[in-house]
Amino acid sequence: MSAGVDPWQAPTGVGARELRERLRAAAGPTAVEEIDGVSLEGARLETRVRPCSGEDLAGVLQELNTAGAAALVRGGGSRLGLGHPVPRARVLLETAGLAAPPIVDAEDGVAYLPAGAALSDLREHVRKEAEGRWELPLDPPGAGSTLGGCLAAAATGPRHGPPRDVVLGLDITLGTAERTRCGGRVVKNVTGYDLAKLYVGSLGTLGVIETAWIRLRPSPERREVWLAGLEDLAGGLASSRRSSVSAALWVDRAGSARLAPWLGAERAGSLLVVELAGDAAAVEADGAALREEIGAEPVPEGEPLIAALRDLLGEDRGLRFQLSSLPSRLSATARRLAEHGAELLVQPARGTLVAHFLLAPEEGEAAVERAFRGVRLAAAEGEGRWRVEAAPLEVRSVRDAFGEDEALIPVFRALKRVYDPRGVLGPGRQAGRV
Amino acid sequence: MATLPLSSSGAPGASLEDELRQAVGAEQVLTRPEDLFVYEADGLTHHTARPRAVVLPRDKTDVVQIVKRCRAHGVPFVPRGAGTGLSGGAIALDDGVIIECARLDRILRIAPEDRFAVVQPGVINADLSKAVAHHGLFYAPDPSSQQACTLGGNVAENSGGPHTLKYGTTTNHVLALEMVLPDGQLVQLGSPTGSAGGYDLVGAVVGSEGTLGIVTELTVRLSPRPERTETMLGIFPDVVSACRAVGAIIRSGLVPAALEIVDRRTIEAVEASVYAAGLPTDAGAVLIIELDGPAVAVGRQVERCQDHCREAGASEVPVARDEAERQRFWRARKGAFGAMGRLAPDLYVHDAVVPRQKLPEILEKICEIGDRYRLRLSNVFHAGDGNLHPNISFDRRDPDEMERVLAAGEEILRTCVEAGGVITGEHGVGTEKKEYMGLLFSEADLDAMRKLRAAFDPDRMCNPGKMFPATRFCAEANPKARGYDQVPFG
Ligand SMILES: Cc1cc2nc3c(=O)[nH]c(=O)nc-3n(C[C@H](O)[C@H](O)[C@@H](O)COP(=O)(O)OP(=O)(O)OC[C@H]3O[C@@H](n4cnc5c(N)ncnc54)[C@H](O)[C@@H]3O)c2cc1C
Ligand SMILES: Cc1cc2nc3c(=O)[nH]c(=O)nc-3n(C[C@H](O)[C@H](O)[C@H](O)COP(=O)(O)OP(=O)(O)OC[C@H]3O[C@@H](n4cnc5c(N)ncnc54)[C@H](O)[C@@H]3O)c2cc1C
Repeated sequence: MSAGVDPWQAPTGVGARELRERLRAAAGPTAVEEIDGVSLEGARLETRVRPCSGEDLAGVLQELNTAGAAALVRGGGSRLGLGHPVPRARVLLETAGLAAPPIVDAEDGVAYLPAGAALSDLREHVRKEAEGRWELPLDPPGAGSTLGGCLAAAATGPRHGPPRDVVLGLDITLGTAERTRCGGRVVKNVTGYDLAKLYVGSLGTLGVIETAWIRLRPSPERREVWLAGLEDLAGGLASSRRSSVSAALWVDRAGSARLAPWLGAERAGSLLVVELAGDAAAVEADGAALREEIGAEPVPEGEPLIAALRDLLGEDRGLRFQLSSLPSRLSATARRLAEHGAELLVQPARGTLVAHFLLAPEEGEAAVERAFRGVRLAAAEGEGRWRVEAAPLEVRSVRDAFGEDEALIPVFRALKRVYDPRGVLGPGRQAGRV
Repeated sequence: MATLPLSSSGAPGASLEDELRQAVGAEQVLTRPEDLFVYEADGLTHHTARPRAVVLPRDKTDVVQIVKRCRAHGVPFVPRGAGTGLSGGAIALDDGVIIECARLDRILRIAPEDRFAVVQPGVINADLSKAVAHHGLFYAPDPSSQQACTLGGNVAENSGGPHTLKYGTTTNHVLALEMVLPDGQLVQLGSPTGSAGGYDLVGAVVGSEGTLGIVTELTVRLSPRPERTETMLGIFPDVVSACRAVGAIIRSGLVPAALEIVDRRTIEAVEASVYAAGLPTDAGAVLIIELDGPAVAVGRQVERCQDHCREAGASEVPVARDEAERQRFWRARKGAFGAMGRLAPDLYVHDAVVPRQKLPEILEKICEIGDRYRLRLSNVFHAGDGNLHPNISFDRRDPDEMERVLAAGEEILRTCVEAGGVITGEHGVGTEKKEYMGLLFSEADLDAMRKLRAAFDPDRMCNPGKMFPATRFCAEANPKARGYDQVPFG
């Protein structure tokens, strides 16, 4: 890997109008629209393009390469503020047209799904096609979020694990405009490099995902939500690790106040919300154990509460960070964050914390600095990592949004250089402003 | 990142071997032909290449030194664990140096409350589970070779095992890696608690067959031992009905820990061997089902599995009464390779995956292929994952038989790919299957993999000659591969 010079070549000076003409030739006249002056992610965008097939997408990327023009990829647009701004972008590349008909194989429990489709639609489609036997194990916040956006952001919700574990194969057009496939439809496969792992979470900086083979999960026989008042986070760890737990979230006092409409009764303190799912007998036994261990009570209508928690996870207020921590150090990590003014949502079994810092305008940069300092200290104490999940553009423009190890940045650069040598896909977005 | 130049030799005139001796100690460097002999092959015995030297590092600093010395001399290097690989991944082509990591065998940290362990790559897979058993934990990926293979090798191959169906493969259990990059730099990828949101380098390195660098430390997830485990044996008149039972179990939403099928030919071989497990030799196939989890759930699941088996045609479905009987049931599966190995000097363990529902049809075709080529072919496989292991017992000294073995192997792979499957589910591509990559992947797909290689190892110093075909393909990749044939492409 050679030294870290800016890999991107200078734009060729192709004007907006000419670029649009070229994109129309590649993707059809109706796929391209002038949006002169729209500001997004630090960029002034001039053109919107919405390719309707993989072939058109490759054509679009080819033209962007020729013109040396950068694009910002947009799925549902629910999380475009993840990562660093992309001031070089000129084109908004929308994936909504990448909507090939989904295929659900209810025998094998796998599905082939288009990246441009909304997850909510895909979830419903899978449920119907599989007659309720399988479910799509992706539940990030954001009603309009697409499969492609969820995979590109490695977004998780309260329920399922990380998307990397359920992606079997991808169709992806690289920054070089090459249409490629990796992985496959079978559930076990080591044929060649596991490139899907590289692309998932890459924030659309290496390629544009067109379709994905996803491993489905059997729908649980029974699902229940339990709730307990719990001041000490550490006391909830064992309960959160019970075998039928599908979601476990600890919310602090501020969070529980925001959940009041769904809790039925006034709750003054912090809470642990646990969803149990799976074998009916196991759910019943774990419910009884939760009652015994932490005095939990079942919630009659669990689904709305889980949905509210999902929204709370993704809420855009001030500065939001996601941190990881060793489970044994969660209490200390959480305390450190609270000392620095954070409101907290913690997933104890996963060892992840979401920290919201509300920014009072009069505090300005000092508040931002305090939040970042608290996050760094907390992550170090928990042997964890952190990244900014939401922050005003001005903050992300000058501060690192990822707590990545500096030593890895040259590797990231080398990857960007081979997959997107002209930097046409979200240049600067990733850790190290790669 | 500063890249160490190639062929800018260290001390003028000093040979690479001398420099290696100086760097890591003379006794750590093997160069005598009789010492090198055992490193000429891995578990794929008919692919051989003699290394130029074998070096046995004692710590990561040694590994850095070895890599830098090899680089300076322009000599490729190959990491190696226990050499149990079945795709020729650990042999040194191009007169390369083997870096055997077996002596890096220390468990460095066990964090029971946080459920992870930090280990060196030479730790034997089964030893880790033994070391953490008293905490009520285990390391879930369990290749059948787990008494011998190393965790470094497991990472490189993304190894699976009988319990992959429920617990996933190695990639689902590796949290962080320390590795020496092909330019000699030591880097940390991931962390015990996950990544910071940059590119998932841990995910890219697991399964990279030792071509992206040398792993010197791994942080792996430990899993809690299930409260209850039940093992049963479905006795079936034929493989097709055993596969039907597998399909019914999966469809019903049950996720057993293991679903393994042993066919008639394997039963016969096992029962005639020291691994004899008392299986009925007139059975067409046996299906080993293992269920684990909370005690309250497992009992009812056992009954459901028994019902599915009977409906699919099982004559009996006994449940192991105790640990001894459980071990006996597993002996049929675990002793299969040993038993087959007794039938002839060599055993070719194939590895391919098909969509689960295609298992009956494909097995029939595979047996037909074996018969047509007049080979002793048997099947023992991870049915729940659709991961087939057609085993061929043969004698590589018989050139005619060897030719038939290879021809049959190719036909088997083609058949699996035609059915929407892939050419390897756990053993890797290595030297064995590199020329078959074009059955699955287009040139553009392979170029995407070459790009990853180029980002890590632009000079192709680390384990060259593996995974990628030597020739470029003219033919398009088979569109049926991976089931994409049903899908309008563009
Ligand atoms: C208010 C709110 C807050 C949220 N907060 C978080 C959060 O903090 N962390 C989190 O992980 N999730 C969060 N989410 C979840 C969000 O649902 C996910 O990030 C993801 O599902 C976004 O999908 P999208 O289609 O809206 O993607 P977009 O917002 O359109 O894009 C997200 C990222 O993915 C890239 N991308 C989109 N489609 C593709 C494609 N087909 N191929 C390649 N790249 C593509 C984009 O360039 C962008 O970098 C939040 C959602 C909401 C509504
Ligand atoms: C009887 C038998 C049964 C088997 N059953 C299974 C099974 O059930 N499931 C399964 O998946 N496999 C199985 N295998 C295959 C084999 O055991 C696995 O692939 C195993 O992971 C290889 O480990 P090893 O230590 O022997 O590695 P080696 O064979 O020495 O090397 C394998 C690959 O790993 C690379 N490598 C080794 N160490 C390192 C390191 N430190 N850093 C980077 N790369 C490294 C090598 O370069 C090579 O490419 C079986 C093999 C046998 C002989």
